[in-house]
Amino acid sequence: MSMTLYHGEPNGPSFTALAALFEKNLQADLVRIDLAAGARHGLSCAQQPEVAMSVEGEGPVLVVDGEGMTDSVFIACYLDDVGDGALLRPSDPCGRWETMAWCRQMIERAAPAAALLGCKAHPPKADASMLAKIGSDDLRLRWQEIGTGVFADDKLADSRLKIASAVEKIEAKLDGRSWLMGEFTIADLESYAWLAGMVDLVPEAFAGKVRTAAWIKRIKGRSAVGSALSLATVADPTACWAPGPEINRWG
Amino acid sequence: MGDVTLYHWEPNANSGKPMLALMEKGVAFNSHYLDLLNFDQHKPDYLAINPQGTIPAMKHGNLVLTESTAIMEYVDEAFPGPKLMPDDPQDRWRIRWWMKFMDQWLGPSFSMIGWSIFIGPSVRSKDPEELKAAIERIPLPERRVAWRKAIYGLFGEDEMKESQRRVAVGIGMLEKALSKRAWLASDQYSLADVNGFNLAYALPLSQPSLSNDELTPNIMRWLRSIYARPASKACWATGRTGMVKRVAILEQPHIGREHVS
Repeated sequence: MSMTLYHGEPNGPSFTALAALFEKNLQADLVRIDLAAGARHGLSCAQQPEVAMSVEGEGPVLVVDGEGMTDSVFIACYLDDVGDGALLRPSDPCGRWETMAWCRQMIERAAPAAALLGCKAHPPKADASMLAKIGSDDLRLRWQEIGTGVFADDKLADSRLKIASAVEKIEAKLDGRSWLMGEFTIADLESYAWLAGMVDLVPEAFAGKVRTAAWIKRIKGRSAVGSALSLATVADPTACWAPGPEINRWG
Repeated sequence: MGDVTLYHWEPNANSGKPMLALMEKGVAFNSHYLDLLNFDQHKPDYLAINPQGTIPAMKHGNLVLTESTAIMEYVDEAFPGPKLMPDDPQDRWRIRWWMKFMDQWLGPSFSMIGWSIFIGPSVRSKDPEELKAAIERIPLPERRVAWRKAIYGLFGEDEMKESQRRVAVGIGMLEKALSKRAWLASDQYSLADVNGFNLAYALPLSQPSLSNDELTPNIMRWLRSIYARPASKACWATGRTGMVKRVAILEQPHIGREHVS
């Protein structure tokens, strides 16, 4: 089985996929693409439905046997299943449920907020020819909205609240433990992936959160995470953003 | 009955997912029905179980589980019975992808249409002050917004148009996927099918111009195959509302462009 991982800078969903790959001691052809320029839509697998319509937005693509696999939490679950390293999900059903439920709340609430705030601070830019290739109309619209440079105040305020809420949740969860689920899991990777770049953008959310600060430091100290971060081609990968999941259409 | 209690509404959408998964696995459970239209899910008794006030929730012993799709994976792993996730890791990835796509992209569009034509009108006749208080009791701000829109009919024209666009796109994707294999995301019946049926069981009635035996033969084959399963029959037989009883459309051998129910 050969695997190719098309990834962006090690931030957001690309971070999760890369770190999971290294945590599991797996080999893959690593191909860096500029997600912030829409390069994913130029891949040969771009029009496969699971790539074109990925809810995650501009995330990495793991190609296995010709099939493009997207959505970083599920890519990480796949790598957890096929790799040799320590489990990235607890071994008991209860722990696995908690990990998946945690990730669901993270990708549904914190991730869209982080992507919006990240794209405002560090705008991605795709040219018209790349935008035309995007298979998902609503993802293309997110690109176009970001391109205007105009961000609604209520969405920005709500996004800051969602980041603060996620950090509160993390701080509470880390009471008496080193990792969110007790043992190191995909929940740590995915939570770090979306929130590491928020430390500078929403500093008030992290003020006084000593357990969260120590947890961020612990994650950065992991060997596999170091390997993922070493792939950065910029000084600060947490300043690299592309359109992410959409903000809940219901409000 | 065992130590499993499911807090749920109708066999429909999120409530129906763990209901059907439990029944497929043959797990006996205590059924605690919450009337969504009576806002039971925002009352103190239930908030003591799930402070977010979302349905469903499941108790297994002292463990309280929320998030319907994650509950289904738990049910599959924690109990004996037919496996609802295949062994192949790539199949498992595909199943999770489709479940997320339905949970977070396609499902909300179906819901917006459903809430505007069923949920909203069903509760709108209640006392205005009672409705206002009911909305204020909703713990999650985004759910408060959703309920307010449904109750007062505040979905904008653009929102509804976008939902209808997504439903059309989603139906096209389902039909294409189901033309490649018998089941949605793998060669065996799985949680993706349980999830999908909860979303699409009434499709030929709710979207007659987009889904029927002539336009989407693979979706219709898939829906009938799932409804033919004893667990599905038993699950949908518990339905109390006309909304859920629409599943009977699948008993018709052929549903053409101008079908009658």
